[in-house]
Amino acid sequence: MKTTDLFLSTLNRRRLLKAGVAAAGVAAFPAPFIRPSWAAEGPIKIGMVIPFTGSTGAYGPEMEKAAKLAVDTINKSGGLLGGRMIELYIEDSESNPTAGAAATKKLLEVNDVNCIIGYWGSPIAMASKQLLIDAKKVMMISCAANAVTEQDHGGLIWRFQAKSTQWGPVGGKISLQRGHKKISVLAQQNPFIGSMIDPFVAEVEKGGGVIVDNLSYLPEQPSYRAEVEKIFGAEPDAVFIPALLTDFVSIMKEVYRGGFTSKVCSLSIAADANGRFLESVGPEVAEGIDHYQPAPPLKSPVYKKFVKDMGEPEDTVFLFAGNAFDQVWTAALAIEKAGTDESAVWTKSVPEIANPPGALVSDGVEALKMLRAGEKIAYVGAGADCDFDSQGDQLNRHFLHRVIKDGKNEFVQTLS
Amino acid sequence: MIGYLTTIMTLVSIAVLIAMALNVQWGMCGMVNFGLSGFVALGAYTTAILMLNGTGVFMAVAAAIVICSVMGALLSLISLRLSDDYLAIVTLGFGEVIRLITLNEDWLTGGALGLPGIPRPLVDYIGTDHYEKFYLAVCVLVVLLIFIGLELATRAPFGRALRAIRDDEVVAASLGKNVLLMRVKAFAIGGGITGIAGSLQAFQFSYIDPSQFSAIMTVYAFMAVIAGGRGSHSGLILGACSIMVLLEATRFLKDVVNILDNSQIAAIRLILIGGGLILLLIYRPQGLIREYRATAPAAPKNVPHDRKE
Repeated sequence: MKTTDLFLSTLNRRRLLKAGVAAAGVAAFPAPFIRPSWAAEGPIKIGMVIPFTGSTGAYGPEMEKAAKLAVDTINKSGGLLGGRMIELYIEDSESNPTAGAAATKKLLEVNDVNCIIGYWGSPIAMASKQLLIDAKKVMMISCAANAVTEQDHGGLIWRFQAKSTQWGPVGGKISLQRGHKKISVLAQQNPFIGSMIDPFVAEVEKGGGVIVDNLSYLPEQPSYRAEVEKIFGAEPDAVFIPALLTDFVSIMKEVYRGGFTSKVCSLSIAADANGRFLESVGPEVAEGIDHYQPAPPLKSPVYKKFVKDMGEPEDTVFLFAGNAFDQVWTAALAIEKAGTDESAVWTKSVPEIANPPGALVSDGVEALKMLRAGEKIAYVGAGADCDFDSQGDQLNRHFLHRVIKDGKNEFVQTLS
Repeated sequence: MIGYLTTIMTLVSIAVLIAMALNVQWGMCGMVNFGLSGFVALGAYTTAILMLNGTGVFMAVAAAIVICSVMGALLSLISLRLSDDYLAIVTLGFGEVIRLITLNEDWLTGGALGLPGIPRPLVDYIGTDHYEKFYLAVCVLVVLLIFIGLELATRAPFGRALRAIRDDEVVAASLGKNVLLMRVKAFAIGGGITGIAGSLQAFQFSYIDPSQFSAIMTVYAFMAVIAGGRGSHSGLILGACSIMVLLEATRFLKDVVNILDNSQIAAIRLILIGGGLILLLIYRPQGLIREYRATAPAAPKNVPHDRKE
């Protein structure tokens, strides 16, 4: 007996019903594959790798908050590409390159994200970038080491930070302007700071200054007395101390205790750190310290609104939070402009929405409306002007120079 | 998902190799090595520097193995008159020396920036699409070969002698075993294995920098060996896998639980791992799998009852 005969001969109501349901199921199943556009209409997924634990764990939370702020604003205003929402997936880099790369892989493979932003810390970005290039996904970094964008990356990497080599000369200019001639360097040993020392030295020597001592130290030491006495004992006019918050606090306490008189110039991520430096050492120790960092557009209404939304005092000068905020917005605008969430495609639109010519616009929601109306825009973010060169590095990073007087940060100038 | 699992499995393989090296030195021979991360860094940098200067893969890896073995042997010789705790401090110092060299000798190691662009072996033949799977296969094969080698060594007279030295060196010496030579051998073998692990690590991301070889690498190796059962090679594979699964699986926690923010989740991840290890040590102090022991034949059955007591 053939199978069809068997089937027909035993056909009854139940079998018919089952067969019908099965047929309907089979018919319904391949629908998403026949119409691939269905699959593309889910949320737009953005990944973020930032440190919450380990030695740089303190910098993650403000970046998370800023990125969520941007995502919420976009979703409330109706999403992208005709109503698709953004979903943000955040992973901890543990301040460790291996863990950061594993987190990157997880976001790419498991969460199937469209691009990954964040990347505080150059070694983590260095260990992860090949994964993103292989997957042809966009990477937006907040770290400074030149090496991350140096080799060819197919236009997939965008840096939301001044390069290390841009930081150095600014410190040199500040010291020379202050009339200092004999200058020493006491620098933390990490890739970001390491590559700003040579440009600093070159700038000082070009301006007729002399480098007395140039010393690197390892962070997380119990005491910096030996380093401080060696550098300050030679009584230079000024000491350039590019550091991070915790070691700078210890160093300055040591300098105060030793009664040294040389002037100090540092980075705002150490000597301000959103007020945490002054909280830790008090006004006497901090008096007269010059410090600088890449400046956000302080006077723009969007920056003021951003600081308010972040819940911080008006005069806060964010560095990393503003950059994270810009990363989300730049990705969103480029996706809207390109009309697709295909990473390899919309990465080409990044300069189109960020660089001039085009109407300068700093309100993201406004920028989205203008894009939809077919206008040309040049987005200005809460962290920077957001203009890029062909290597993916940010152009026109201005630096904000401030000095600590009577326990307060006073504006000195904007340098570039 | 498959690509993610491939990466994780590759990382597990490298962690297993490091744990195996520790198991030879500490698990079998009783010599604590807190400088493991230094050995791995030495292997990784040797391979990377040679590869970047155009040496072939096999030469580069072989050089890493030889250099790490020799360093291991020398280190155990230096500690000729030092036992237990003192040796631990010497190895700790060695790890720190290597770290400082990698950080400071910019001309050789690239300093804090590290060495980017390490060529991946055979990438031109395999292609980038399937390279990760190929690389995992290579790692697993290496683990398997070393595992078999170590299992054979454990069951051989060499393994018994090592355990004897670990349990009581005076007794071992009085039985005519050359304690010093055995220790040097154990340290050299362990060193060679870390050299391979370092090479694999260098190829994995085609980038190395000093922060990849932090003390946490040594801690994970100790965790794997302790959790797996000191002296047991199959145990430490299980131990390394469970630690990695714990570490990575907790990443998925926040995709499911939505109450806590990321910095809280990040802290809880580490608490969970610590808690897991403490529970394991309370309820299974001997580890997951007991080390290999040749068991004596059962007592003859026809012995009169009173003589059995």
